[in-house]
Formats: sequence, C-alpha cells, structure tokens
Amino acid sequence: MTTKDTAVNIKDQIRQFVTEELAASKGINQVTDDESLIDNGVVDSLGIFRLVTFLEENFGVKVADEEISAENLQSIDIIEQLVISKSKK
Amino acid sequence: MAYILQQLLSKSAARFPEKTAVWARGKSISYRELEERSNQLAHLLVESGVRKGDRVGLFFPKCVESIISMFGILKAGGVYVPLDPQAPIDRVGYIISNCGIKVLITQDDRRRSLDASTRELLERCIVIGAVKESGNGIGVLPWSALPEYPASHAPQISMTETDLAYILYTSGSTGRPKGVMLSHQNALTFVEWCADKFQMTHEDRLSNHAPLHFDLSVFDVYNAIEAGATVYLVTEEVALFPTTLQKFIQTHQITVWYSVPSALVLLLLHADLKAEKVPHLRTVLFAGEVFPMKYLKQLAELLPAVELQNLYGPTETNVCTYYKVDRERLASMDKLPIGIACENTEVFAVNDKDEIVTQPGESGELYVRGPAVTYGYWGDEEKTRKMVVPNRFQRNFEEKMYRTGDLVTLAEDGNYYFVGRRDSMIKSRGYRIELGEIESALLSHPAVREAAAIAVPDEVVGNRIKAIVAAHTADSVQAAELQQHCGTRIPKYMIPEVIEFRESLPKTSTGKVDRVGLVKDSQPVAVS
Repeated sequence: MTTKDTAVNIKDQIRQFVTEELAASKGINQVTDDESLIDNGVVDSLGIFRLVTFLEENFGVKVADEEISAENLQSIDIIEQLVISKSKK
Repeated sequence: MAYILQQLLSKSAARFPEKTAVWARGKSISYRELEERSNQLAHLLVESGVRKGDRVGLFFPKCVESIISMFGILKAGGVYVPLDPQAPIDRVGYIISNCGIKVLITQDDRRRSLDASTRELLERCIVIGAVKESGNGIGVLPWSALPEYPASHAPQISMTETDLAYILYTSGSTGRPKGVMLSHQNALTFVEWCADKFQMTHEDRLSNHAPLHFDLSVFDVYNAIEAGATVYLVTEEVALFPTTLQKFIQTHQITVWYSVPSALVLLLLHADLKAEKVPHLRTVLFAGEVFPMKYLKQLAELLPAVELQNLYGPTETNVCTYYKVDRERLASMDKLPIGIACENTEVFAVNDKDEIVTQPGESGELYVRGPAVTYGYWGDEEKTRKMVVPNRFQRNFEEKMYRTGDLVTLAEDGNYYFVGRRDSMIKSRGYRIELGEIESALLSHPAVREAAAIAVPDEVVGNRIKAIVAAHTADSVQAAELQQHCGTRIPKYMIPEVIEFRESLPKTSTGKVDRVGLVKDSQPVAVS
C-alpha cells in the first residue's frame, strides 16, 4: 500500500463517519472536505466527542483533551491531517 | 434612573468612555465607540423608515456589530429580533414574515440565502462586510456607511418603559416558533435585580456564552453595560471545545459566567477545570435546565471559592426565581431547588383545586406576576390569552400573570422544586423544545403517517430526542431522509438523533398516542 492510498483511505473513513454518523442526524446530506463542520452545524458539543472517540478507536491514535480544538477538527481535510500526523508518531 | 435599556449604555459611556465595552473574535470596542456607533446606526435606521415599535432583524453570527445593532435598533425606537444564524432558512423566513420585519441587519451570504418570497418582504438590508451584488429588489446599504451619520446623539424619540425592546422566538407546539414580546421594563426588572444581587461592578468581566436569540444573553449584555464592565462574546469555535473554552475564561480573566448547565458539565468532563486556572472567576450562574447533582457537586468542589447560583425562569418572565447553592447542604442534597422569587416578582403554585399552594410538600403549576412578565406572543392572541391570564387571585385591579406550565413543589424552607411539565415541552442543552413542533415537521413529510417525538434523559445535555415513526408504506422512507426533511424546517438541536420505525404507534384507551409507553420501552440514545 502506498502512502497515497492510505491517505485516501483515511479520508474516506473520516468522510463516511462525518456524513453518516454526524451530518445525517442534523439533516445534512452532503459535506465537502474543506467545509467548516462548525459553521455548517454538523458537529455539536456531543458530536465533537463522538468524532474523537471514532478517531481513537478507528485509527488507534490518542487525541488529548487540549488537542480537541477548532484548529485540529475544523474540516474533513484538517481531521485527516491530524490523524496522519499522529499515526507517524 | 434608567427606564429604557439604551440609557444603561449612555450612562456607562459617560463614566467610562475609553473602557472596553465588548470583545468578540479578537476585536473590541470602547464605550465611546459603542455609544457613537449605535447612535449612527439609529439615524440610519430612522432614515430607512424604521419607526417606533418596528421590528428589525439581526441575522449574522455574533460579533461586536451584534451589540452595536441591538443598541442602535433600540435608539431608533425599534424592536430587535435576533434570528438564529444557524436556523433553517424556512424558519428564518417564517419569523421575518410573522413579525413583519422590513429592515434586516445581516451579511451578504446570509442575505442571498433567503428565499425570494422573504426577500420581497424586506425593504432594506444593512450588510456587514463585503457586498457582492445588490439587487433583488432590496435596498442594500453597507454597514460601512455608518460614519456618514451623526455620532454625538441618538434620534429624538419619545419612549417609555412599556415599549417593546425585543422579541425572542422559541419553539411552538403547533409546528411554528412563537415570538415572546419583551418590553424595556421586562428586561430592566431582571437586569436591575442582577446588578444588585450579584454586586456587579465596572471591574467585572462577563462572558456571553448563550446565543443572542436565547434569553440568557440578556444578563451578559445588559448587566455588563449597566455596570460599565466588559462582555466577552463566546463564539461557536470556542464554545464547542471545552479546553479552548477554559482558556477563554482564563485569558480574558472572566469574573462572572452564565450559561446552561451542560456547558459547565462539558468543561468539567473534558477541560481539567481547576480553581487555579480560573482564579478571577467569582460567580457562576446557570439556568435553562436542571443541573445534574452529581456534576454540580463536582463543580462546587473544583471551584471552592466561587458563588454558584441556580436561576430559573421561562423566556416569558426572563428569570423569576433563584437559588444560591448552599455548599454546606450540597453534599446531602439529591435535588437542586429552583429557589425563591426574585425581587419585584411574585411566584406561587396553583393546585388542581385552583388554590394557591401554601403547605410544604404540596405541588402545583407555577405562576408568575410582576413587571418581568411578557405581554404575550407576537401576533398570537389565542396563545397569549391561554398563557398570560388575568390574576384571578386578586380582583381589585386588572393585572396579568403568566402560567409557566411547570409543576413545582413547595418545600419546608420556602424553596420551590421543579417537578416536571404539564405539556410536552422539554429542554435539551437549555433549549426549549416543543415535541409537537418536531412531530409536525416529521408529519409534513409525505411518507409519514404517524410520528411521535420523545425525550430520552441524558446526563450531560438534559435530554436527547428520539422519534418513532409509522410510514404509510413500510420501508418507503429512511431515517436520514426524514432527518434531512426536518433540517429544512426546525433547528438542528431539535432534529431527532434516532428515528425508529414501527408499523403503527401504540395508543392509549382513548386513542391517543401512548407517550408514557413509548418512553418506557425506549432505550437510551447510544453514544458511540
């Protein structure tokens, strides 16, 4: 598996979780990769922690409380970056 | 003495012209600027045709301009209507049409997102930030035109405390939101009580966690301005992330905090909240929902020197009772009282025999009288007559009282305890939600035959929402499609998280949907 394949795979999984588990229950059926999940209301205060639990369980990474911020979790693109940077460590 | 809200600003601007009044998104304005900018906006609004009592909408995420707009509208004699910037466009359009908003303060993308039929209702849009194109029949004026208007004084408009100041829309059981009308006097009754009760000073630094369409924000904004203090607006990017939120409290040295309990619970659970990290915090007020005792006890331990106050009251009365958390009693308490009436407000419970409850242990529906009580609902006389009723316990003069729909018990020590609701209104994250409004959104989908929304209790947010739906034809519709359909009609916090399909809904012997049964066999909404 090349690095690129892995990256696509990670993003696909994040996208699937965000659209099926978070966006759907907010009545949103489409989310683009660079769109702010905060501005569009896809994540709420509980959704943030569901997302973090998903990242930890699915990708085996640890997200510390202080890393749970808009900076790291703003969009699907940015979440992917967070997962990749953590997987490398 | 201030008898209209904008006098609070003028007084503080005279005392502390250079002090920061409002901070938001890295931008701050002084009292002088807030006074002058709102004067200019008031002139612009009057020129735009706004007359006393006219409703002016605010439709943009909170920022410094939100507070300038609120005061500018009041100074023009207008009534401001904060619209939820995240609400479905259909709902925003309904509110604009329902209360006859002709002038809207907004941003360009939001203006253009409005339906053509809504845009036709608007005579003028004042647009904050860049304007891509004007047109569509609306007179568009940029916010940047403000400097052309007089700054030193507001337009001369004769007003009294009985004039309306703002309208806050809350969930309505018949499927559409209802606008609660609040006068200057309603607001000031609460603001003056808070100023005194919580000993607010110009050295205070208040947070504003609640959205501006939510009545908790009335304290944050007007009590800060009344005292000559500074209010720091918490935006979504901060509010959603407990660690970021804690840093916000720390960095801005917040002294007085007011929010729904669930915001505090998230801080407790995920932000390593400690007294040494928030050393300036002196008072924490919470309202909007029941604080789970387990977490309140933790909060009290973590913040040993902070005064904790439970405030209670529907939007229709702002706050009508309060309870100062008694730290000595807290350990042995299993339920938090809503407390006793605020000054200049009277509350009492009325039992099934229509008598005022006087004996400890007795329960009844809570009624509120006094200058904090709303006139009623905008354009809805029927609903107003039902909820804001003549005071039948006092017949010497004509007077109204508000029936809250909340069932309470009177305790030995004079405190009231919240027991439950008479109707199907619930609270989630402090938001008032009428289950009927959710059901009506579900039923408006052509595939749905029957629908019931139920509240599933949750430790952190109070309640989570689940719906049980029977379709005309089995498997003809999926949960995601229904949630999407709801998303066009009701705010996101009202959309059921889980939708369960059944062939039909269980009924009681009288043929009504058996809600009790549905709640009983409902599993908690799973957190994955």
